[in-house]
Order: sequence, then C-alpha cells, then structure tokens
Amino acid sequence: MAVLRPYLYTGGVHKHGLLIELLEDLGGYIIQQVITGTEVNLIMLIPEKDIPVVKKQSDELLGILVEAPLTGVEIAVVSPTLASHHLPHSACDVAEYLRHPGANTNMIGLARGMGRRVSLSMDYERKLINEHDIAVFTFGSFSDCIINKKPKLFEGIEIPIVVTGGPDLKTEDVPGADLYVGNIGRTSHRLRKTEEVSALDKLNEEVGKIADNIRKQQAKDPLAVLPARVMKEIENQIPEIRTVLSPAPLTLQLNGLRVKLPYDEFHERLEKLEFDEGVTLSELANISRSKMKNYILIKIKSKSDVGFTI
Amino acid sequence: MDSLEVFAVESAIASEQEFYRKIIEDNLASLKLAPAIGKIKVVLRPEDSLFQMAILLRDVGTRVTTLDIADVEAKPVAGEIIISIKKEQYIPELLGKLWDRYGKANISQPDRWTVAISTDKPEEEAAFLKDMMVADPRHRLHENLVDFAIRVTPEGFRVRYHLYKGNQFIFVASEEALKHEWIEEAGTMLEELTKGGKR
Repeated sequence: MAVLRPYLYTGGVHKHGLLIELLEDLGGYIIQQVITGTEVNLIMLIPEKDIPVVKKQSDELLGILVEAPLTGVEIAVVSPTLASHHLPHSACDVAEYLRHPGANTNMIGLARGMGRRVSLSMDYERKLINEHDIAVFTFGSFSDCIINKKPKLFEGIEIPIVVTGGPDLKTEDVPGADLYVGNIGRTSHRLRKTEEVSALDKLNEEVGKIADNIRKQQAKDPLAVLPARVMKEIENQIPEIRTVLSPAPLTLQLNGLRVKLPYDEFHERLEKLEFDEGVTLSELANISRSKMKNYILIKIKSKSDVGFTI
Repeated sequence: MDSLEVFAVESAIASEQEFYRKIIEDNLASLKLAPAIGKIKVVLRPEDSLFQMAILLRDVGTRVTTLDIADVEAKPVAGEIIISIKKEQYIPELLGKLWDRYGKANISQPDRWTVAISTDKPEEEAAFLKDMMVADPRHRLHENLVDFAIRVTPEGFRVRYHLYKGNQFIFVASEEALKHEWIEEAGTMLEELTKGGKR
C-alpha cells in the first residue's frame, strides 16, 4: 500500500483544479478544500513517491506547499466551562493554532469543570471527548490546581491527554497527562507575545509527535481501510453530503471519521456503502450514533479484527 | 499602568503572581477602570481556594446635573421649556427623568439637539430642571467594579462577599463557605492601603 503524506497547499483559485486533477491521477486524496475569496486552501494526502510531482505543479501555480502533520486528526479542546474566564483567550487561541498544521478541532466546554473541589465531568462529556483522537485540556495559572485538583477531569478519558497551563511544570508532575505545555495559562488578552507564540508552536510540535506515535502504533496492526478512502467513497455514493453546510462535513480521524449527516436517515446507507473489492463498510467498521449532535461516527476496525485490508 | 499609586498582587509562587497581575491589568483596561482606581491589592491563596481584593478608589466625577449637559431656557409666553443638549451621552437618562415628571405627551423632540417641554409654570420648572441630577457616574462605576471583580476571580470561586462604601471596595471570593477571618484580612488590606500601603 502506498504511503500517504499530509500536505497543505495555499495559493490562488486560478487553475487550482489542475492540482486536484493531478492528485486524483496519482491516487491521493483531498481532505478539505476551503475557498476564501481568491485564495484556496487544500489539505491533501499525497503518495510519498509522487510528492516532487505535486510540488512542481504547485510551484507552477505559484502556491505554497507545506507539510501538515496534524491532517486527519480530530482534536477536542476542552475548557473547564464556556465562561468568559477561559474564552476566547486562551482556549480559542489554542484551538485556532492547532488548525494551522491541518487538525480539525472541536471546542468542548464542560458544564461543571470549573473550580477545585467542585469540578467534575459528566459521563456524556467523557464519551464525547473519547470520540476524538487527542484531547487538549486548557487549564489555568495555579500549579496547585493543575497538579492536585484538575486531573480528576481526566478520569474515563481513554485518548491521549495534553494539558496546557500557565506555570512551567514537567509532564511527570501532572498525573494522567501525556504531555504538559506551560506558558498558556488563563489570560484576558490574545496570545501574541513571543513566549506565548513559541509555547503554542511547542504545543503543535508535541501534539504532532503524539499523532505520529498513534500512527506508528496503528502501522503494526493497520486499519482495514484508509479513512481517506472511506471519505472518498462517501462523497461518491452519498451525494447528500455536498449539501451539508458544516465546515468539515466529513471529518477525518486517525482511526475513522465523523459524518455530519443525521444518523437515523443515513446510517443504513452508510452501512451498505460498497467498495470496488466487493465488501461493504459495515464489514470493515463500527458505525454508531455520535455524541455530537445527531451525527454518525465511523470507527474502522483493524486488520486483526477483519482478517484483511483493502 | 503606572497611574495606579499601588498595584500589588501577592501569592506564594512568584510566577503565578505575574499571571494574575497581567489578568488584572487586561481587565482594568477593557473595562476602562484604571483612571478610577487609586490603589489596588490582591491576595491569592489557591491552597485555601481564596481570592481577596481591596481597592481604594479615586474621586470619580461628581453627579451630572442638567446644566452640565444642556442649556435650559424658559419661554413663559409659549408655556414651554427648551432644553438644548450639549452632551449627547446622557440623553437617555435625562429623557427618562423628564418623562417621569411631565409625562411623555408633554415632551417633544423637534430635532436631535432639542427637547421641548410644555408646562404651566415654565420659569419655576426651568429653575428646578437646571439643578436636577441626571446621572450618577458612581452608580456606573459600581456596576463596572462588580463586573471587574467577577472577571478576575478564578471561575470556580462562586461564594462571594463584596463591600462598596465611599471610595472603598472589598471583594472576597472562595469555593468554600467564607470565613470571617478572610473578610477581616481583606479589611486590614484596605486599611494598609489607606495608610499609604506597601508597594
């Protein structure tokens, strides 16, 4: 199977169709296409050996092609509540910055996450967070809270946990966290000072490493089908997806995807989604109702479960 | 921020102190409170879930009367009072008071800068109107101060105490039931500020 690498193309709208056509010929995938005015952003997966070809085409179009290591990763940015104490700064800044390298982020404000003794998360919230690939918790400025009180919010979270906060702590200090990034604590201003931006850069870099680790683990027991391929088949076989107005109607995850169509109406058609090899999607993946609105969540089974890959 | 005579934030860990100093600065700026505050001291004790703040206010603007914002002219022959507005920002408050006193039917606004009142005793009423209190900036300041206090306090500290008297403001917040000592401590902080305070 060809190894696909994630890239982000930024350039003018003029003739960008050439790039899309080239990518289709090479067997790559367009993950997301955002056209704003005269500018176009394409997030795509390119077969590794063909990267120079795409690079050449992008140079001809005078666009910029950069690697986007978080492509196909859905990240939950969890803030203790949705009150003005945490939003829009710094939680939104974190979410926005994570999108630069291609991630899809969802902001989740817990109902009762604030405080020290009183903070708690609900079963529903934990399940919603667990639907994502990585959870980023944005905490405040007190090391005492981050070390002793807040980690109870991690209970029941099965995905990698990244914590941001003000004080300069080590990851080992924060029980239950897979990564701690300091200097992004509670603020009432936009994060744009040098040390704040470099903290955000560090966050992106480290989250990228976590995503790579998950990919490496997956490579040992690969998925039965690539999420990007399922995405393409859905686009071909379920045309209604084009009428969805959500920013990313099909959101890729490392081991599946979220389909932003109502579950009751569409889940049967998704189960019967057919691939060229003659298998249907229900044989390769678990299709369930997402905790987010009434969307559909597809989690692809691994090769060891299904017995083959396509 | 140097316009503040005293701006102290105390906490056991120096770096956390800096974070809070910045949060307070930002909120002071966004609520435009800095000119109104003379001295401010904040004490944070996360291990006790405690936030204490004492503020000494500067003399804020005095009450605004009609004469400060408009010219009042009595027209005895026509049975009218003409108010020519000079400062538009207080019109809502002024109109509210006039409606209460004369009724909406007796008040007209021929243009943006003029309010006409028809009355039987124009001269007496005009004399009264000239000294009528239209707005009290202290009231607006109070609202802003409470808003400010809630914004800078850690969100989980929902048990709050506040005192606003003269030019003194005390705010204590915690997650647990408030202890009397905590409020007294805040009172002591305020006394220190009044006596000169430590920078």
